[in-house]
Formats: sequence, structure tokens, C-alpha cells
Amino acid sequence: MEFATFADRAATIEAESADLEIVAHVRDLLAEAGDDLPIVARFVQGRVFPAWDSTTLDIGPNTCYDAIARAAGTNVDADDVEDRLAERGEIGAVAASYDFGGQQGLGAFMGGGGAGAGGAGGDNDDHNNGGTGNNNTGNLTVREVNDTLTDLAAAEGSGSQDRKVDLLFGLFNRCSNDEARYLARLVLSEMRIGVGEGTVRDAIAEAFDVPQEPVERALQVSNDYGQVAETAREDGVSGLDEIDLEIGRPVQAMLAQAGTVTDALEEWDEAAVEWKYDGARIQLHYDPADPGDPDGDNKGETHVFSRNMEAVTDALPEVVEFANEHLDSPVILDGEVVAIDDDGSPLPFQEVLKRFRRKHDVAKAREDVSVRPVFFDCLHADGDDLLDEPLVERHDQLESVLAAERQQEPEEIDGFSLLWVTDDPDEIEAVDADALEAGHEGIMLKNPDSTYSPGRRGKNWQKRKPDVETLDCVVTGAEWGEGRRATFLGTFELSVRDGDDLETVGKVATGITDEKLEELTELLEPHIVAEDGTAVELEPAVVFEVGYEEIQTSPTYSSGYALRFPRFLGVRYDKDTEGADTLERLEMLRDE
Amino acid sequence: MFKAIVSAETLTSALDSISVLVDECKIHLEEDGLEIRAVDPANVGMVDLSLDAAAFESYEADGGLIGVDLSRLEDIAGMAESGQLIQFELDEETRKLHIQIDGLEYTLALIDPDSIRQEPDIPELDLPAEVVLEGKDVNRSVTAADMVSDHIALGVDDGDESFYVDAEGDTDDVHLELTEADLIDLQAGPAHSLFSLDYLKDMNKAIPSNTEVTLHLGEEFPVKIYFGFAEGQGQVTYMLAPRIQSD
Repeated sequence: MEFATFADRAATIEAESADLEIVAHVRDLLAEAGDDLPIVARFVQGRVFPAWDSTTLDIGPNTCYDAIARAAGTNVDADDVEDRLAERGEIGAVAASYDFGGQQGLGAFMGGGGAGAGGAGGDNDDHNNGGTGNNNTGNLTVREVNDTLTDLAAAEGSGSQDRKVDLLFGLFNRCSNDEARYLARLVLSEMRIGVGEGTVRDAIAEAFDVPQEPVERALQVSNDYGQVAETAREDGVSGLDEIDLEIGRPVQAMLAQAGTVTDALEEWDEAAVEWKYDGARIQLHYDPADPGDPDGDNKGETHVFSRNMEAVTDALPEVVEFANEHLDSPVILDGEVVAIDDDGSPLPFQEVLKRFRRKHDVAKAREDVSVRPVFFDCLHADGDDLLDEPLVERHDQLESVLAAERQQEPEEIDGFSLLWVTDDPDEIEAVDADALEAGHEGIMLKNPDSTYSPGRRGKNWQKRKPDVETLDCVVTGAEWGEGRRATFLGTFELSVRDGDDLETVGKVATGITDEKLEELTELLEPHIVAEDGTAVELEPAVVFEVGYEEIQTSPTYSSGYALRFPRFLGVRYDKDTEGADTLERLEMLRDE
Repeated sequence: MFKAIVSAETLTSALDSISVLVDECKIHLEEDGLEIRAVDPANVGMVDLSLDAAAFESYEADGGLIGVDLSRLEDIAGMAESGQLIQFELDEETRKLHIQIDGLEYTLALIDPDSIRQEPDIPELDLPAEVVLEGKDVNRSVTAADMVSDHIALGVDDGDESFYVDAEGDTDDVHLELTEADLIDLQAGPAHSLFSLDYLKDMNKAIPSNTEVTLHLGEEFPVKIYFGFAEGQGQVTYMLAPRIQSD
């Protein structure tokens, strides 16, 4: 498919506001995508790689501005691009405002010597620098864009940023105005044409005449819209049904919402109760070595993923060692890693995150803070997907997977999180007290009969924390400080998600040391999109965990609510903006 | 089979002239010397390099093809002191290149040549003007243009028999003219083309100031830049596509 065709359809979709119409447009786009269906199914959501794939383009806004400037013509630099961005507010509009294609390729001069290709001998002014007036633009394909971006993601090491600019420049240089609009948005992950995951799911079902349910299931286990779309087209429902979990391909973690013991018991009669660990979520994939493995090192294939499906295997060698020591069949386990001190007592969550972010000197980091995994769910065991099994059965499977020998007492199994199923509130309170005593956060309440729903924050899992809830808010603005703090950003504007939009809920300025301010400034400065006096507008990228005393209605903020006494608790490095809390949750917390 | 000994200077000159355009390249190990051709990802700048067997202290090859990571190889060459010799031997079994600089041994993993971007076809261009000048004058032209603009026009004045450089900035302009007296040789013809300094600056880095450089130019056509190194036993040809001149 020509990239121009894709850009044209994307423009049509963007102009449409009715959901059903959008689905119909996406359906038609998928139906005509031909061999490029997997790519188109991702591009239309603004994705270059499957959702499960941790590969990123790693293109900062500045890299993109450089490439646009280079393709844009004589004496345009990245600052000019930024100025236009401040004016137009959106990178796609900026890219579309330039006429690209001024740089010719050598290909234009192949085959024909002498006059011809460039108007040799004529005046210099018979060229049109814009649109399709030259032989560079108008022939880019979706596949070429995909292949170039894949090359770009693979660039690493010294000089790789320059190489990325080169590759991106090469693409922009071949773009018409409309193509440039969607290329710029694609590379900066800002597609925003109103196509969400649900849209593509429905469009796949309609385009290839399959029911929604098997599409939904296949998407949940694979997180690969491209593969699911292609399978739906080629093999229909039976093909979709055959898409299973795969060792090495992460699934979205099932999520919990806040809840109370009373409600849980009322709803389910019995509740499954487990400790809530103050750690970071992981998903462990393990496949033992093939017995005929010529290496004979007897080490299995191990992958560890964060809750964002990011590969964190190298950062957490303890988990890999755990797998090699305790596991002997192919499994996918859901759990947490907790940081522990020398006595084995848990350390705060922030300590765990230090380990997650660590890319170099892992051995040294491990000396400072060591972690251990605790597992509470089993999604796959020895060839069988267990997503549709009830919680208690999955937990039984987990026990048999982790138990070194049949007779081992549950309490003695390494890395095994115990589960109590009870209808007795007093027993639940006792588990809660033990958890707090052991230094953990409290308890989780789960519906014993519930299946595992990847990526869902549903009623079947509820967390009960001993203190007030905290909120994970997207930082959307800040102010430069005064005096001693003039070089630091402070007074951070917080927002929650509302569909695709972000709505402000307050500003947080307290609870932050100068040292922390410096760190936050470093973290946020690259995301500045506009400045006005001391006020700074930030692109949504960083998530803060904030505490508060209560939630009030307020005309001051766009959400209609304000956090009373907000205080900064930490940066949620493990969450992207999509993982931030929603307006809906805010309202739910307020009603509690 | 490939076994060779070469001076660090010669190797570095060769690698530097390629690495301004690409990170990885294929090297043809021909019987009579090395051949490298590469084009940048946007297909705008191309390099064609040959290094004759005579440029080596010793050279044996039988037509193999290897793929290398240039920055890695440049780093290794950088370990040699001035005047030191670098010794290469290809292990066909393991597809690794053994490199020795005195007591230093380095085993370099090669890249699968099929994973490297395809080598370009070289356009056959009939360019009417030819300018021969010293490397330092190329350098001066590029530096002057870079002060005011990100583009540079190269041209030959048919009437005056001179070579000129124009650069137009937002506020300032640069014009530099070299007459026959300043040039080593000039074959005048209709020639005026605009080029991106992003590319030309990089190519310029590889051009030694004391060498003789030949430019082939046309009207809105690519420029061909030719120069020798390693006492003429190495040859580099760059080709750079023009920008379309607006207004």
C-alpha cells in the first residue's frame, strides 16, 4: 500500500467523529491493505511495533525536528520547527506545513546521462519545490516506512542519533504534505486520529467477517494487532482460536481496583485473600532447556517483563536464577518483585524501581538492593493456557509448578504467595494484620471463580490499602522556580486521563527536596513543548504518584475536581501515561 | 582467503572516507585490492573507494566479501601509533577477522553482508564542467558557506572561466570565486547546482587539504568529487545528488 493512500485514509478517519463511521473507515482500510495488513493494523493505531514488543524507536522530539528541518528546505533549522510547533500546537500540522522533497536522490539520475532529469541547460527556476512537483515524493510505501523505522530502531551506539536523523530525513524528504503529517505523528507516537484498540478490534471483525469475541480473545493473548488481523483474514475463527499464549511474548497484566471487604464478601460470598506486596509487577516466562540441548548448560529460556510489557530480564538476574533453580516446565507466571534488606525484610517500592531502570552495572546495583520474586498467578503451565480457569485452580497450578516436591508445605515453597479463601471477615482482618506486620502493603481481595482478564481493571481483583489511596497523575505542566530554585521546575500541574484527553486536577509543589527537584527537572525538561513566562507546558510523558487528603469539586481545574493537600510521593517510572489514573477512578474515589 | 598488512594511516584514510556516509559497509576483497561502495540511507550521497594491493605492505586475497562495522574498525585502527603496521587475517571458518597491531590482537566479529544495505549502482553522468583544485580550497569553500547557510551552490562561470561558490543565508551571503590562476585545472561548461552542506561537510572531512581534488559539475546535476590517497594507490569518488533550487 502506498503511504499516500494510508495518509489519505488517516485524514478521513481523523475528520470523522462518529464511532461507527470510524470503525467503518478502519474496516475499509484493513480490507484494502493487502500484504501490508499487519503494518497498517499497527500504523492506524500509531504503533510501529506490536504492543508486546519492547522495541522502541527511541526518537526524541528534537531528533524529529532535526529531520524535518533538514528535509524542509534551505536554512530551516530545528528551532524554526519548534517555533512553528508553538504556533500550531501539533507536530503533524507542522510537518504538513513544509514542502519536502527538495533534496533529490541519486536514483533520479540513474540510467540517463546528459540532459533530462533536472532541466539541464534551462533556467534554475523551473522547479516547483512543493508537493508532488518533483520525482522524489509520491512513491513511498507503507512497507518502506515500516522497514526504515525498523532499521532506525536497531541503530545503537555512538552516532546512532545522527543515523536516526539521516534515516528519518530520508523518509520526510519523500513525503507529500499529508504523508508528512502522519509520518511525524507516527514516529513521535502521537497518531491521535481517534482510533483506539477497540476500534481496530471491531474493524478486524467487520473487515474479515468474524465475530468480535474470538478477535478480542486473540488480541488479549497475543497483543499483536497485525498478527490477529492477518489471521482473521487468512484463517477466520478457527485460526484465531489457535492463537495461544507464547513463551516470550508478554500479555497485559490483570489489574485491580480499590475495594472493601464488606463489598467483596457481599458480591462473591467468599473472597480469595492474599498479601499485597510493596513491589513491582513482573511476568515471568520460562521454557526449560531442551533435554537434547547440545550446549548442555541446562539453562532454560527466561524472559521477565514489567507491567508495561517491557523486557526487564537483564535488570533482574535474581528472577532468572529463581527460574533456573525452581522451574522445570514451560510456564508463564504473574507476580511481583520486592526489594529486601539483609534481613530479608521488604524495602520501599522506590528501591525496586531503581533496579528496574538499571541498564548497566546490574551486578553492582544488586549488591546495593537485592530483589526476590513472589508469584500469585499462573497463566500457562506445561502447554496449557489457564486464562479461562478460575482463580483458585490457577493458584493450585502455581503451587504444583513451584513446589520442589509433592509433600512440601505451602508456607515453605519459595516464591509462592499464599491464598486464603474465606467468608469470615475476621480471618481476612487477621491476614491483613499479618501482611502489615511483615512490612507489606495490605491485602488483595479476589473473586475465587474469576478468570484472568489481561489488561482489565475490573471488580474481580480489589486492593485494600491501610491508608488513603494515592493517585497516579500525568504531569502536564510546571513552573520555573524563583531565587535559589530558579533553575528548577516546580509546582507541577497534574492531570488524569479521560478517554484520549487529559484533564487537570491540581498542582503539587510540596514534599519535594531540592535534590529531588533537580532530578525531576532533568527528567521533565526534554518534554517541554511551550513556555510562557515562568509557566511551562509539558507533553504528557511522566507519571507522578501523589497523595491527597480529599477530592473536592472545583471550577479551577478542567476535570471539575481538585485534590486537597496534594503531596508528591514519587515518580512512577514503571508507568507510561496510559497507565495513569482516570477521571472515572477519581470520581469513584471521591464517592467512597 | 584474505591476509594483508597495511599502515595505520592508509587504513584510517580509507575508513574515514566511508564512515562519513554509512555505519556499516561491504568490503570486496579482490585479488588486486579492496573495493568499497556505499550509499547513505536517503540515497543522496555515495562513495566508491578502491585501495590497490600496492598500497599494502603485503596483500593476498581471492575475491571474498565481508561486512564490517566501521566505527568498530576505526576504533581498532585508532589503537595503532603513527607509522605502525596493522595486520589482517580472515578466518573463513568462524567468519571473524583477526587484527594484529604489534602485541595487540583483536578478533572482530563480521557482519553478514546480506544484512547491509545494498550497494548502489553508480550513475553514469555526463558532466560538462571539470574543476581541479587543492583540497584546502574545497575545505575553505565549505567552511565559508557553512558560516551563513546550510546549503551551497557550486558553479562554473562559462564566460569568465572561473569556479564559484554561493551560499545564501537568512541574512548574510557568501560568494567565493576561484579563477584559473587559483585552480590547478578547469574545463569550463554550463554548471550550477545546489547541495546540502550536511552531506558536503561530512565528505569534506575526508578530503586531505594537501591533495588534488577533481570536481565534475553540471546544471542541477549531482557533483562527482574525486581524490586520491595513499600516494595515489587509493582512490575515492563521492557522488552527491543536488537539491532542487526553488524560486
